[in-house]
Amino acid sequence: MSAAPAEQDWRAWFAEHGARLRLIARQWTRSEADADDVVQEAFVRFWKHQRHLPGDPNALVVTSIRRAALDLLRRTDRRGVREQAAAAEADTVAWFEPEADPRLQALAQSLPLLPPEQCEVVVLKVWGGLTFDQVGEQLEISPNTAASRWRYAMEALRKLITARAHD
Amino acid sequence: MTDPDHDLELDLARLRPRPPAPAVGAALARELAAPPARRGVVLAWSAGLAAAASLALGLFLARPAGSEESPSYRLVRAEQSPANVEVLRPIRLEDGSFARPVRVRWDNTTQWEDPRTRTRFINYRPNETLALLPLETY
Repeated sequence: MSAAPAEQDWRAWFAEHGARLRLIARQWTRSEADADDVVQEAFVRFWKHQRHLPGDPNALVVTSIRRAALDLLRRTDRRGVREQAAAAEADTVAWFEPEADPRLQALAQSLPLLPPEQCEVVVLKVWGGLTFDQVGEQLEISPNTAASRWRYAMEALRKLITARAHD
Repeated sequence: MTDPDHDLELDLARLRPRPPAPAVGAALARELAAPPARRGVVLAWSAGLAAAASLALGLFLARPAGSEESPSYRLVRAEQSPANVEVLRPIRLEDGSFARPVRVRWDNTTQWEDPRTRTRFINYRPNETLALLPLETY
């Protein structure tokens, strides 16, 4: 993810990175609409207040997304469990654009099936552009734990796409 | 020999996440179209106005004298002191967020001199501005 220069137009930056930010938000939210809300809130905060700060803009924007997602989860936890379950069940939209390559399509369908703690490491590393050290800081785990979850995730993904290939 | 995890990571990176809904872009346009933060702008305006006033006064005083008795001032010095930055205790804003007030003070001194009479015209201008730095709380 490229830096966010102070004078750069937000539209250009968001056009380049919006989809990746949304995926990061999506794996921490219950629905497509929630992911959009989180991206909107987090991006405004990042662009107005954080893009001038020193440090890796990747980590800053991911922190902003995680905070917004956690805030939303706390708010929605006050809603009824039945309402949440219905919303999650109705939300079957894929995380990725359709792929012609069967292996990529299988991969796209398998990622959301990973345990959440493995999925978030994969998303932050691949689409967040973070190192294991940075992933550890984001998730408040050690870099070794992040790397370990990554290895488990890779193993699980290989099994899932192999199983889909034999379906 | 290739690393299977690396190959899988490359395949993952080829996946294209779905973009945010168009409504997100429209909402961002509304949110980010607001005027820029006042910090920095205040400083720039103050410095710009002071410089413009000094220049105008300098040009006015540097006009050819109408008679021999009129003083003929020339700009001999223009100084701006180092800024004194005072960071104050954080406060809570109306929207619930926190910000840290920062007070910045500096002086501008401009001097003109009439070489004939060795008299000086000195414009001393103290400046002060207060800005708010947003604080992130987690």
